[in-house]
Amino acid sequence: MLKSFIKATFRSLTKNKAYSFLNIFGLAIGIACASLIFLWVENEVNYDSTHLKKDRIYLARENQKYDTYIFTHSSTPGVMGPAIQAELPGIANTCRSNEGTESLLFGAGDKPVFANGKYVEPSFFSIFTLPFVQGNPATAFKQLRSVVITQKTAKKFFGNEKNVLGKSIRVDNKQDYIVTGVLKDIPANSTIQFEWLMPFQIYWDKSPWLKSWGNNSLSTFIELKPGINPETLNKQLYGFIQKREPSSLGRVFLFSMNDWHLYDDFKDGFKTGGGQIEYVKLFTVIAWIILFIACINFMNLATARSEKRAREVGVRKVLGAGKGSLAMQFIGEAVFMSVMAAFFAVIIIALVLPAFNTLVQKQLVAGFDNPYHIIGLVAITLTCGLIAGSYPSLYLSSFNPVAVLKGLKLKDSGAAYIRKGLVVMQFTASVILIISTIIVYQQIQHVKSRQLGFNKDKLLEISLQGDMAKNFNAIKLDLLNTGYIQSVALSDHEIIYGGNNTSGLTWDGKPPGSEVLISQRYITPDFFDATGLKLIDGRNLTAMDTNSKPIAMIITQSMAKLMGKGSAVGKRVHGERDTTSAVVVGVVNDYVYGNMYGKPDPVMFFSTDPVHTTMMYVRIKAQKGIESSLTAVQDVLKRDNPAYPFNYRFVDDQFNQMFQSEMLVSRLSRVFSALAIIISCLGLFGLAAYTAERRVKEIGIRKVLGASVSGLAGLLSKDFLQLVIISCVIAFPVAYWVMQGWLKGYQYHIEIHWWVFLVSGLAAMFIAVATISFQAIKAALSNPVKSLRSE
Amino acid sequence: MIKITNLEKFYRTEEVETIALNKLTMEVNTGEFVAIMGPSGCGKSTLLNILGMLDDPDEGSYVFNGIEVAHFNERKRADLRKHNIGFVFQSFNLIDELTVFENVELPLIYTGVTASERVKRVEEVLDKMQIMHRRNHYPQQLSGGQQQRVAIARAVVNKPKLILADEPTGNLDSSNGNDVMELLTDLNEQGTTIIMVTHSEHDARYSHRIIRLLDGQTVMENIMV
Ligand SMILES: Nc1ncnc2c1ncn2[C@@H]1O[C@H](COP(=O)(O)OP(=O)(O)O)[C@@H](O)[C@H]1O
Ligand SMILES: [Mg+2]
Repeated sequence: MLKSFIKATFRSLTKNKAYSFLNIFGLAIGIACASLIFLWVENEVNYDSTHLKKDRIYLARENQKYDTYIFTHSSTPGVMGPAIQAELPGIANTCRSNEGTESLLFGAGDKPVFANGKYVEPSFFSIFTLPFVQGNPATAFKQLRSVVITQKTAKKFFGNEKNVLGKSIRVDNKQDYIVTGVLKDIPANSTIQFEWLMPFQIYWDKSPWLKSWGNNSLSTFIELKPGINPETLNKQLYGFIQKREPSSLGRVFLFSMNDWHLYDDFKDGFKTGGGQIEYVKLFTVIAWIILFIACINFMNLATARSEKRAREVGVRKVLGAGKGSLAMQFIGEAVFMSVMAAFFAVIIIALVLPAFNTLVQKQLVAGFDNPYHIIGLVAITLTCGLIAGSYPSLYLSSFNPVAVLKGLKLKDSGAAYIRKGLVVMQFTASVILIISTIIVYQQIQHVKSRQLGFNKDKLLEISLQGDMAKNFNAIKLDLLNTGYIQSVALSDHEIIYGGNNTSGLTWDGKPPGSEVLISQRYITPDFFDATGLKLIDGRNLTAMDTNSKPIAMIITQSMAKLMGKGSAVGKRVHGERDTTSAVVVGVVNDYVYGNMYGKPDPVMFFSTDPVHTTMMYVRIKAQKGIESSLTAVQDVLKRDNPAYPFNYRFVDDQFNQMFQSEMLVSRLSRVFSALAIIISCLGLFGLAAYTAERRVKEIGIRKVLGASVSGLAGLLSKDFLQLVIISCVIAFPVAYWVMQGWLKGYQYHIEIHWWVFLVSGLAAMFIAVATISFQAIKAALSNPVKSLRSE
Repeated sequence: MIKITNLEKFYRTEEVETIALNKLTMEVNTGEFVAIMGPSGCGKSTLLNILGMLDDPDEGSYVFNGIEVAHFNERKRADLRKHNIGFVFQSFNLIDELTVFENVELPLIYTGVTASERVKRVEEVLDKMQIMHRRNHYPQQLSGGQQQRVAIARAVVNKPKLILADEPTGNLDSSNGNDVMELLTDLNEQGTTIIMVTHSEHDARYSHRIIRLLDGQTVMENIMV
């Protein structure tokens, strides 16, 4: 029975090659595409899952309330960790570390290299699951000058990862450290990333400001005892800082490791439930949509072909087959096809995975030996087969045998309507995807071409290394003397990122109790010339302002506005809790930093001595080439700072880096909408072929009566075109609504233009017509004599 | 009106080559009613299709109203055809999705007749064929005889000079068949040239002349009295 069925199915597949190809190929693309997306989703959802205590690990975060909003920071006071561990009974362990990573120069062999890492307390090794390949956690940080590295770092430093324990390595050309441990490499989907770890004590010793309860600049990781509800701790943490430092705005709470990657979005002090999870959900939905589009092809082609199968159904029924067994046969056929499709999908996955990895910037592996992946693939395949086979099997198995054997024309209208409905669904989804793709692209272009207030092009950023700060004046002179450089300046912050905000300031006319977050930047006077900020009032800072009393400062326009009407020059700002006082000497234009979609926040600039800065900004002359200018800068730094490798960034590259997730969505949506339309068109191609075949007699008659080829092609295309138009009518408002919601997430966003809909609709129609017209023209050109032969 | 000389038509399928028409020569004059007879497969339909310019010959000459059309391209043939020739088939070949009226109307649409003129002419011809009362029916709702009358109405609505009928009575009972033959005779008496393929000696008697084919060649011609 089964054997005869498989034989029959296989025969029917090989007999209708084009039909089988369209079905299997469409399904294979659908399954491959969905599988790739699910691989990505799996990777995202399993973030940080290698840490066994994940459910009990938290990051201490802080809500700070300002006039207009609550800002959720991820840094906490340096003295908080030990205090809460001693006082709050639910806490099993805490670990402090510097926020993010620090880049240091390591010299093991002949060539020193930079590596990013963290300063952590020894508890880091017990809170997080970090298996040692060499050394052990108990002794790793016994000595102060020790460094624990990953296997990859070991290769980077020493060329191999064997027996590096106990080796000495020079850091920043100054101090020798001993390698006391080698860790198994950290998976890419881990939030905590580092190349090296050093004892926190080192960081503590060189950062005196950490000892104040009013300073928030560390990460504090917390491991709770089993069974402890974080909410009870949150209550105790809420006023914890204020007991020591009443003026602090920081309200500490626990942020679960389970949420670090996917739910890292806060508004008004609360998790929004959004973050990366939105993309995970979005792509999951898209994966199913693409699968469904592929299944629709199958349903449509199967029912469209039903006239050909009607005879078979009739004969089988006459011979005693029941409706149930026939339905099983057709579902079986669909499942069989989707199994074939899955087989091809596996090949497609293997072929395109590298490209997909580039697209999503991950190192996903297909893992065909992973039982979960096998189960997943089988589940997708069976689901596809069942969905695809469901409707056709019901439809085909219900034919009346007497009618079909007499050759009566089948009343096809019900199936035809469903078929049309399904095509409309396919094209609706495709058109929505096309519109979304265009809008996402426009939005990214919109932000990328935003006037930031400073000139990010041809602006070089170089981290200060070694004695660069000390020798700044000489370096600056040498750079200017190359003839390639317009100006050189220093700053204590990267221009494009946020950070170092302060709120404890007041001035005449400031409403009482008002808290505004203002950023402070310490710079050398050429900073505005180098970055392209324009002085619009008052004078520039000079080196003389570095130690002036009161401190001279330049503020941005938005801050000038905060300080009241009239010129801000001459107005004063005071610390609320101390005696510092600063006078405004100039105003520069606003510029965007931190959030590229947000509005420019106020900034105060102070003149400072080079030793207090960290970044050098080098403005290349407008008419000079990038390559030759870089070489010139490199030559100068090699000469003036020979111990360090030349390390630089372009600010416009950094700017582009800030759109990672938007770019990912943009790239993926392009691929998905292309796939959706391709799969839909495969189905349309099949349907058009079927329609042409079914109407071959009519076409013949019309030709005999004098219809032209173009007229006939139009006749055949018209019905399909109608469906695409209906799809557009449904897709337009849906796409508008969805994309309007997406754009709302960005303060600085485009307006949706009507022509986007027009273009998308026309594109879908054009592609559809191109698909159909092949069949239509072929049918219209065919010789009517053949179709009208009555014998 | 029609003069064909040494007409040849081959069908090639993978290995076999069938000679459907073998150096066929014949002539049909304006106003004639010619019947073509012969066993199945002897090339009757092939001949009719070529005469109707649905198909082109491989060799030989076909002069229609003094114009050599054997090597006309598809467009020119279609043009000539839709103004000059009407077809009647054994299996009627009505379009199932269109009503009687719409089926008959089609040739007028393709020759660019205005809508009001079309209604007038379709109604006129439906009246003549006595199927006016069925104008809004679909082909399946009609008997075979009625369907063939619709087909004939459609063939003549453009007032063609030539009607080609391929076994027009083949699917009809004898009384309906006789009706159809009467119609064709009437048309012929009003001046339309008719070439009809038939298996029936009875039907052939309505014609002026019988051309008998065998294996793609004329074997005999009988002139009727
Ligand atoms: N499209 C075709 N392909 C191959 N052979 C054909 C085709 N049309 C007709 N023939 C062959 O040509 C011969 C003449 O066919 P036809 O003109 O249809 O005969 P009939 O006299 O029965 O109408 C037959 O042998 C037939 O098999
Ligand atoms: Mg024939």
